[in-house]
Amino acid sequence: MDRVLEDFISTLRGSGVRISVSESLDAAHAVRLVGYEERRLLKDSLAAALAKSAPEKEIFSDCFDRFFSFDFFPENQQDMPRREAAEGMSSLSRMLLEGDQAGLITTMREAARTENLNAIQFYTQKSLYVMRILDRMGLNGLDRDIRELFLSGSPSSSATAARLEEARDYVYDNVRAYVEDQYRLFSGSEADKMLETYLRNTKLSNLEQRYYQQMQHIIQRLVKQLNDLHSRRKKPSRRGQLDFKQTLRDNIAYQGFLFDPKWKKIKIEKPNVVAICDISRSVSRLVRFLLLFLYGLNKEIIHIRSFIFCSNLTEVTHVFDTYPVNEAVARIQAGTDLPILLARTDYDRSFRDFKEQYMDAVTHKTTVLILGDARNNYNDPQTRILKMISERCKKLIWLNPETKPFWGTGDSEMKRYTPYCHVLKECNTLNHLERVVQSLLKK
Amino acid sequence: MSSKHDEKFSSIPAIQNGFREASYITSRQTATTVFLAYHLEKPILVEGPAGVGKTELAKTIATYLDLPLIRLQCYEGLDESKALYEWKYGKQLLYTQLLRDKLDHLVNKEDSFSQSIDKLHQYDDIFFSWHFLEPRPLLKALQQKDGTVLLIDEVDKSDDEFEAFLLEVLSDYQVSIPEIGTIHSVTKPFVVLTSNNTRELSEALKRRCLHLYIPFPDPALERDIIRIRVPDISKNLTLQLVTFIQEVRKLDIKKVPSISETIDWARVLLILHADNLHPDLVRETLHIFVKFEEDIRIVEEHLHHLTTQAVRASGG
Repeated sequence: MDRVLEDFISTLRGSGVRISVSESLDAAHAVRLVGYEERRLLKDSLAAALAKSAPEKEIFSDCFDRFFSFDFFPENQQDMPRREAAEGMSSLSRMLLEGDQAGLITTMREAARTENLNAIQFYTQKSLYVMRILDRMGLNGLDRDIRELFLSGSPSSSATAARLEEARDYVYDNVRAYVEDQYRLFSGSEADKMLETYLRNTKLSNLEQRYYQQMQHIIQRLVKQLNDLHSRRKKPSRRGQLDFKQTLRDNIAYQGFLFDPKWKKIKIEKPNVVAICDISRSVSRLVRFLLLFLYGLNKEIIHIRSFIFCSNLTEVTHVFDTYPVNEAVARIQAGTDLPILLARTDYDRSFRDFKEQYMDAVTHKTTVLILGDARNNYNDPQTRILKMISERCKKLIWLNPETKPFWGTGDSEMKRYTPYCHVLKECNTLNHLERVVQSLLKK
Repeated sequence: MSSKHDEKFSSIPAIQNGFREASYITSRQTATTVFLAYHLEKPILVEGPAGVGKTELAKTIATYLDLPLIRLQCYEGLDESKALYEWKYGKQLLYTQLLRDKLDHLVNKEDSFSQSIDKLHQYDDIFFSWHFLEPRPLLKALQQKDGTVLLIDEVDKSDDEFEAFLLEVLSDYQVSIPEIGTIHSVTKPFVVLTSNNTRELSEALKRRCLHLYIPFPDPALERDIIRIRVPDISKNLTLQLVTFIQEVRKLDIKKVPSISETIDWARVLLILHADNLHPDLVRETLHIFVKFEEDIRIVEEHLHHLTTQAVRASGG
């Protein structure tokens, strides 16, 4: 496969189009069939072989246009008279004086290739690459020519020198534009990957608003993975072994003849989750992302009832039924149309509310997920109610956004709640959240 | 696909012209993909909104190549026995009954049990041979001597398992029948898969196909299509109705009108002897391309405006 196609494919991969080896082979065959001559034809052919969904087609089209752009070194110098290049001048000077556009582009591309421009990753590397490419193209020779022409002193040679000076800037601008373009093409993946690792490990409370969009993308992707992984799980319950007891019982009606065999079923219960979230300011961001995560999951694979509390507690499951996830989360955080008091956090009142109104939501199949920092403003901690919940449910998971050393300090009641939690975790980054959700879905 | 069709697939304009003769107007992109699919011997996966002519593309390829079209309509629960082959159970049963005497004869009363089994073993494969095999679309497509166009329609409606099962057919053009063995295609069929994108298809399936996305056509292409499909309609009216439909597609409605619905509407207008769009006419015939109560209401709101716009566009 030729180098150009290889570079193009790695560019596409960098931009998020998944391309397998067999597909790149197809692309190579296609190129052999249609050739590089006709741009439109090449684009259509590669699109058919490489981009396999509507969004991928869009990315592809954009990448193609940028990758195969040839509008460098426009001939803006036509108004200037072309001058004869003197003997002994460097090839770069010669090309500039003669206005050899194709030559300039080829030299630039060659130089970029030898300098491995496609390995560029960070914007700080741009000027370095510009200098290296210019060096490769023979900038030193050009400088020497200019100097010598000035020194020789004759009017015609100094005019040529001035002309070359101008051309020097022209080369510089073009190379910079080229590097800029290639940077945008090649750097995408690495920079994105770095940002993603950073975002996944940053404390959600420190996260800046401008990253929210990206966070949502990451969450969506994670959720999709989880959905894909767990949506297949109803399959194994279809086959099974003979359930002898059941068969005997059911066939009593046929005088004990085993007429209607019953099969053992692997019954997989979908996780039943009750999420109780503190939405006071200290925790609210985490709540946002947890809810985005939970409600992103397919309704087929998880059953959720959600409650929020601050000074009191209320159920919000219906909000998710009426509005799309994003809007629902926003509504919940603002408390729009919800009977919730957003004053000081009160675990005493909230737990009592839960006990009185919603205790029936907790059964022996339920996993209870409490998200809160346990900072109770010195109210009664109501450990009795938590104990009750803990005894009723299958599993009680407490997620605390504070780091461990702070648990139990000041008005934090975490130490008192600890004995009743089956799982107690510090949870303040996206990675933590993902792990929790994953463990919920595991059998 | 044999080399006898090479001439028909010599260039992209040749394909476009050939398809035009079969009353199918293609964009360049579509023709290029068909061209590549033929030369690379790869299946085409066609995606796009409903009614843009995905199925029609396969039919046209069949007409163009003068090959039979074998169609497999996918649905939930479709399995191997309906797509690939089935044993003719009834025939097997009938034959065993009919041949009972023969069997008795074969197996002498004096024979011991093991001797009888040995004797039967000499004939064991008879009941699982080609005579008792009912080939379903996929197998039929592989058996055609002169090649065929195989259309696997709405593959997104089938289950994951069926999709996985298709992989063998698509990549190697062969299928395995346990009792008989692996069957290779006589001539590689031209395979077209269509999908309405109700679910994401697996990477593995996509990898084996060339991908073609057919969007709604731009106005010029749609006018061309109308002119070919409804030849008697006036140029002026075509322009108006295409402008109108294109604008309706921009509205926020549940189901946007497809090309086939545009064609239907053009036919209706022709029958009504209309030469110009006017609001009343549009209102009366609206239900031909708008299929939901809500949508009809939305379109009616904009109806006057859109009609005048369309009429103005034609200079009328």
